[in-house]
Amino acid sequence: MFEQIAFYLFSILTIGLFLVTVFSNNILYAMTSLASGMVLIAGFFFLNGADFLGVVQLIVYVGAVMALYAFGMMFFNVTKTIKENNTSNVTVFVLGVSIALLMVLMFAAPISPEVIFVSAAPEPNATNPEAVGLVLFTKYLVPFEVAAVMLLIAMIGGIILAGKKMDQSLTKTDDENIIQKDIK
Amino acid sequence: MDALVVGTIIKIVLVLLIVSALAGFGTYIERKVLAFMQRRLGPAHVGPFGLLQIAADGIKLFTKEDIIPQHANKFIFSLAPVITAATAFIALSAVPLFPTFVIPESLPLIGGAIVPSIIADVNIGVLFVLGMMAAGLYGPLLAGMAQANKWGILGSARTAVQFLSYEVVTGLSVLAPIMVVGSLSLLDFNNAQTGGVGSWLIWQQPIAFILFLIAGFAETNRTPFDLLEHEAEIISGYVTEYSGLRWGMFFIGEYANMFTISILAAVIFCGGYGDIGFVPGWLALLLKVTFFFFLMLWVRASWPHIRPDQLMWLCWKVLMPLAVINIVITGIVVMI
Amino acid sequence: MHEEIIHTDNTPKEKQNYVMLKLGRTPAYGWPAFKQVAKRAVSGELLVGLWITLKEMVKTLFMGGKHTTMYPFEKMPIAPRYRAIHNMLRLLESGHYRCIGCGLCEKICISNCIAMETRYDENQRKEVSEYTINFGRCIYCGYCAEVCPELAIVHGGRYETASEQRASFSLFDDMLTPIDMLKQQQEFAGFGSVTPNADAAIKKTPLAY
Repeated sequence: MFEQIAFYLFSILTIGLFLVTVFSNNILYAMTSLASGMVLIAGFFFLNGADFLGVVQLIVYVGAVMALYAFGMMFFNVTKTIKENNTSNVTVFVLGVSIALLMVLMFAAPISPEVIFVSAAPEPNATNPEAVGLVLFTKYLVPFEVAAVMLLIAMIGGIILAGKKMDQSLTKTDDENIIQKDIK
Repeated sequence: MDALVVGTIIKIVLVLLIVSALAGFGTYIERKVLAFMQRRLGPAHVGPFGLLQIAADGIKLFTKEDIIPQHANKFIFSLAPVITAATAFIALSAVPLFPTFVIPESLPLIGGAIVPSIIADVNIGVLFVLGMMAAGLYGPLLAGMAQANKWGILGSARTAVQFLSYEVVTGLSVLAPIMVVGSLSLLDFNNAQTGGVGSWLIWQQPIAFILFLIAGFAETNRTPFDLLEHEAEIISGYVTEYSGLRWGMFFIGEYANMFTISILAAVIFCGGYGDIGFVPGWLALLLKVTFFFFLMLWVRASWPHIRPDQLMWLCWKVLMPLAVINIVITGIVVMI
Repeated sequence: MHEEIIHTDNTPKEKQNYVMLKLGRTPAYGWPAFKQVAKRAVSGELLVGLWITLKEMVKTLFMGGKHTTMYPFEKMPIAPRYRAIHNMLRLLESGHYRCIGCGLCEKICISNCIAMETRYDENQRKEVSEYTINFGRCIYCGYCAEVCPELAIVHGGRYETASEQRASFSLFDDMLTPIDMLKQQQEFAGFGSVTPNADAAIKKTPLAY
């Protein structure tokens, strides 16, 4: 009983919060509702017994990704409402809805009870992290490694982009030198 | 309703009340310890040994005028303190606090209820606590962004940078003990260290222990790393515009987090609630938690703040490489 | 630790422990910087700070090392030359107030806070009928005490000047020595006088380094 109540509560709240994210004119509201929606999605994982994935959802999406978004938003005035300059609301609405419908048809239409099957059955006695680990390191080892290499490349790229002038200290350079460099 | 549900509800109420009260008591202890270390007296006039100062401060906080700045985003402004307090308490729900006990049948209404040791016995307790503390960064973050104040914005920028960076260190440092024990459950950690002081994980993983403590200080916003509200630089950071009860909720959240980190350090590295010789387990845990809490105050009295760039330097150039090396070595040892 | 006590020519009266640390230059980059960080992290310099605070705590708790004065209940002695709320003194023999109503203090007061009215009494002597000091304006410069030819107005030691009314301390009768306290009345050591134990209290300022 508790599970069902929680499921419907979480569903309504998640949809409502993501609607706020889309429709709000205020960055702060959009960001807060997106983050809280992510927390509630972690709730679904907990309801289905996937504790590990739920916590990973919390740590990665709520703790890291959304916080980075928030850090990006430090550079805006978040208390102001945004004026969107849409040329035509009708165009936006028609395009948005049709693209959404197309996506749903593309991804959801092939799913019917006959085609759904478990591609990698979890070990019956394994605990949550163990089950994830077993699947990840046997059946899906190659995609896992590819993703790891991709993340490594992204990290190196980030370090190179950000670390170009890292060995120069701004506090130890004269003001004139800094200004001259900026002019160049 | 079955006995466990009633017991869990009782436990939730108990934890809420006790930890909120302990937060008040924590401020008293902090003021006293800091005072003694600076050859002062601390609160001494209200009640015996100044103990009722907590009550006086509580009354002051509750009755103070609740000010919301004119240009602040009122909804988010009032939401932020709730997030801090709530995440701190939710994190506590996966931490073992007292031994399990059954309320005697003779009591009306709640007789026979089983009060569990852990409120939510998820089998990945460590990760859950860390995840909840990670979500706790939204309190300071939103508070700073909603209050239309430059110091608040600076405070929340520092929140994002500091918490994000030190989450990495906390996670990596806990990973090594997790590999040794082979489980994410705090109960398994406790059971792995029942063989007396010699079996504590701190002897196997001293580097992980130190890294965890340092990162814990940073995540609870304690002194060498309390850049979020560093008075000398950014007035009060994210709490600049807060007053009264809302400010108090930030405080309660911070102290609850301090308790959580202390309990985690005690359970993961220092034998949890296993008996030490003739000292019973619950007392041993209490003593360990008290020691870690005292350590936080002690460090606050002894060491100066560090600069933000030093904070980042420490995290990414010192602690994270150390943690990774520690994990690699642990992995090799565990494999052999 | 490289420590060395600096000896100077004029040795201070009590031994002082100012210490100069020879730290050398701080390396900024590369291997030397790394070496310094590693050395400092391992050598336990941070623990020295922890040890000092713990020692102070033990001293405070068990060896009576508190430096607190329980202020409203006990007070630090203040210097005799301290300038706080004024006192009006009396003649020791007759007990009559010393003020002769010359008006010099009113004249010299640079913040115009002294107001007095005088008249002739039945013996054709000058008598002070009104005398008030506006302590909202007074800057406690001490000119009135310095200029007074009769040593009648002096500065006292009452520095707790919070009250419910502005006029609390400022009436002539409030400032006048109570007649039953005449025996305890003390002369003001005056502008520029030194504290009794001034010689003993002298310390060399730490400018040696």
